[in-house]
Amino acid sequence: MDIIITDSALRKFLDTTADAEVISKHVSLCGPTFDRIKKVPNDYIFEIEAITNRVDTACSLGVARETAAILTQFNLPAKLINDPYKDVPKFPDGFPIKFHFSIEENLVVRFVAISMENINVKPSPKDTQTLLEHTGQRSLNNCIDVTNEITLFYGLPCHVFDLDKLAAQKLIIRESNKGETITTLDEEKNKLPGGDIVIEDGSGRLVDLCGIMGGQVAEIDDHTKNILLIVPIYDPQKIRKTSLSLQKRTVAAQLYEKQPDPELCLPVISKAVQLLKERADGDISSDIYDYYPNQRAPKLISLDFNWLNRFVGIDIDKNNAITSLASLGFGGTIEKDHLICSVPSWRYHDINIKEDIAEEVARIYGYFRLPSILPCVNLPSESTNLLLSTENKIKNYLSAVGFHETYNSSLISLDMIEKNDLNPDTHLKLKNALSRDFEYLRSSLVPSGLENLKHNIGRTSDKFLTFEISNVYRRVSGQTLPSEISNLAIISTEDYRNTKGRLESLFEHLHLVDTAFLPGKNSPAFYDEKCTAEIHSQNTLVGHVGYIKPTVLRKYGFQPTLTVIELDLPKLTTKILPQSTFTPISEYPLVIEDLTINSKKLIGDIIEKIKNTTTLIKDVEYLNSYGTKHTFKVSFGSFEKNLEQNEVNNLKEIIQKQFTV
Amino acid sequence: MGTNLIEIENIKKELASDLKKSSSLEGIDMLKTKYLGKQGKINILFKTLPIKTDPKLGKKINDLKDLIQTKLSEQLTTILTSDNKMSFDVSIPGTPMPRGSLHLISQAIEEIENIFVSLGFVRRRYPEVDTDWYYAEGLNIPKGHPARDDQETFYLDDNIVLTAHTSNGQLHEMELKKTPPIKMINIGKTYRRQIDTTHTPMFHQFEGLVIDKDINITHLLGVTEYFAKSYFGQDRHTRLRPHHFQFTEPSFEIDITCGVCSGSGMVEKTPCKVCKSGWLELGGAGMVHPNVIKNGGFNPEECSGFAFGWGVERVLMMKTGIPDIRLIYSDDIRFLNQF
Ligand SMILES: [Zn+2]
Repeated sequence: MDIIITDSALRKFLDTTADAEVISKHVSLCGPTFDRIKKVPNDYIFEIEAITNRVDTACSLGVARETAAILTQFNLPAKLINDPYKDVPKFPDGFPIKFHFSIEENLVVRFVAISMENINVKPSPKDTQTLLEHTGQRSLNNCIDVTNEITLFYGLPCHVFDLDKLAAQKLIIRESNKGETITTLDEEKNKLPGGDIVIEDGSGRLVDLCGIMGGQVAEIDDHTKNILLIVPIYDPQKIRKTSLSLQKRTVAAQLYEKQPDPELCLPVISKAVQLLKERADGDISSDIYDYYPNQRAPKLISLDFNWLNRFVGIDIDKNNAITSLASLGFGGTIEKDHLICSVPSWRYHDINIKEDIAEEVARIYGYFRLPSILPCVNLPSESTNLLLSTENKIKNYLSAVGFHETYNSSLISLDMIEKNDLNPDTHLKLKNALSRDFEYLRSSLVPSGLENLKHNIGRTSDKFLTFEISNVYRRVSGQTLPSEISNLAIISTEDYRNTKGRLESLFEHLHLVDTAFLPGKNSPAFYDEKCTAEIHSQNTLVGHVGYIKPTVLRKYGFQPTLTVIELDLPKLTTKILPQSTFTPISEYPLVIEDLTINSKKLIGDIIEKIKNTTTLIKDVEYLNSYGTKHTFKVSFGSFEKNLEQNEVNNLKEIIQKQFTV
Repeated sequence: MGTNLIEIENIKKELASDLKKSSSLEGIDMLKTKYLGKQGKINILFKTLPIKTDPKLGKKINDLKDLIQTKLSEQLTTILTSDNKMSFDVSIPGTPMPRGSLHLISQAIEEIENIFVSLGFVRRRYPEVDTDWYYAEGLNIPKGHPARDDQETFYLDDNIVLTAHTSNGQLHEMELKKTPPIKMINIGKTYRRQIDTTHTPMFHQFEGLVIDKDINITHLLGVTEYFAKSYFGQDRHTRLRPHHFQFTEPSFEIDITCGVCSGSGMVEKTPCKVCKSGWLELGGAGMVHPNVIKNGGFNPEECSGFAFGWGVERVLMMKTGIPDIRLIYSDDIRFLNQF
């Protein structure tokens, strides 16, 4: 929570010779961070980030307490003054007015109220006006200004009503009904969602949207004479819910949802009464009303000094630790190596375990004073994660041979799914999407790749070669979580043969063995099935390569040839040889001969057949085709001897015979 | 006897005229065969010598052989060094080879991974879509806690979220290892309902977790400082500021000195535009909360640990000065090609 206070407001609770710069520099290291500091005539304005679980520091008092404790550690003289917890306030009694409010259970932690008469509404003194202005607030009148000033000082909101505008003196604090309305001080008419904490004045009218903003009905005006002053503490979750659903993120709401200290209610109302006496000539006209159903027992936490040293990593002087804690308001008694800490009431919610106490000691000591030490952890060795290392190998290879790597959002639009003829129902859909552009988790990387190509049309004259490695997400029936599968997608404006060649080089680089390209069946819907191959390795389907089908191309306005590859990397990784094996090299030269085969078989099958003729055939390279005549470059060789030309001619004949029908 | 001497003189003459005519490497090779080969003139000369012969004559033929070798070798050197490649233009453009590019995020991840691996961390990948237990409940964020209704988390249903942090990996890692020690770095995609200059709905985080007997705050400082210096430069420093997260206690915000103003907060007498008073926020960290250690199945009385979760894009932007995170996700080939 970001708060604004001034140097002079801080010094209401702090006695020190340190100047604003020194304070901001030192406190930022050990306590709340001073984000910005601005010089104004006779004062400084501090923008401070109060840590979310430290509502006690969201005011002058809290920052002063931290500052006093921290500066002392830097050997700078500093002392907390005007501590409201020091004196127990006294209220006179025996007034004719004694309030009895009707309060529903579990809405209120504490509710303190008092009324005043003879109020003289007028502008606030100049000092108060300046203070409010510096902290970004508008001065309204002496009564309202007192409540805002009190919040600034003590971090506890309070509220004043014009007592004469309330229908009865018996207020009802209850949950709102759905649809009830209240016009708040910002002149907005709020229709309540129901379950909000409200105050009704006995005539059915709502006079306060509790913890968020007062109602307009009982607003203070120039003619106000009698006021009702309340200092309540409400249930934090209810306040947060109302504040979020009505989008009223007032200072009061932000403070209440962080659970301020109920022990502060009496000191604060006493201070407010005193200010209203001074500035508005008011007199107390009622007994003090104090509803406090569940007083909290003091919290005790035991701190073992030996553990503290082990946890922080250095030996911290016992007395230093005790002094730091005391300056933050902790009490304590020593028992052997233990300190039994009593937690101050304003730290009731954020201090729960010994680690919390260790934090207080260590941060006041100064994290910057701790040495940096690398931990020595005896971690047992583990085998390499093959998927992760393969991903890296693929990325480095592809990016070195001409492919550009892209990163796209895992969240895609319905439009992208439909453009690729994929089925939206098989995709995981967000319950609370930010926009329609990011609504579904993608089940394929290809739609994003096609978007990349579309964005790049006209940007480069070169061919377009990109790849992406990322998880795709698929629903698995009978499983709570979707499966997250690392995929590789390649988008290429080269034709099938070139793209496949590049893929085969990648496979060789990865030592992926026993690969086969088979005519595609049931390929993903964006593929042109006739021009798509299933990619197998050791008889397992690991992905597809093929052309995008014309209807999809048309939707994007792409040129006819677009080759797309998508591979399932976890499956592919299991087929990679763990290490490359050594194959001996023949001492005898190869005999390389062209060979033309006339056959209606698939070229891949022809090559397979040639290769399988004899072990003397070392390699078969495809050259070209003319009708059903296909020419290959065949390498013959032996480990034992030089092959003679007549042996090679014999082998060629044997090969040819296999293709004569 | 006389015929041999005449023959020697003839060979010398013939060589001189042959050398004049040979200005190519092939020519020299042919002369070598003609004079010094198996069937060459020198060998024939040796073969025609009578059995009993004057040793001086043998020496003369050997001298002739040496002479021929020297002459041929001189001629070869002349040919090889002669300026026959008339004009050699060094400025001729090279034939372009295809070059692709590795994405900035991949480069950053690789760099980050290497730094932590060099410290003995094990690289992990944990679910990016996870259940409420791993994402919140098990990380000490009970139902109804304000951190729950941050409005920034994407949901698939009430129990399944797109993780907004990589800390779910802490519980997964403890379940995997079953017992301390742990030293892992989990890098993955994370999601947040936000788009502006510093936020995209999808981004990347790296999460470090170390748990062992007696792991303390100085160890967190050690690893943080090591990373900052390795990744950003040896002249950079870090500091810890108190902060609050539910799953660590105590929690810290880690700052690193600004590279633009060298941590002074001032650039030529005006406040630095990049940082807050010389410091940049790196991200959150802390000592693992005992409840989280317990939820992971470890005993918090017997071990302790620290964890941190920082943004890949964030450190990348801090390092490169890229001002808008959306630029990192540009698919413009002209942009990608720069890296
Ligand atoms: Zn700077």
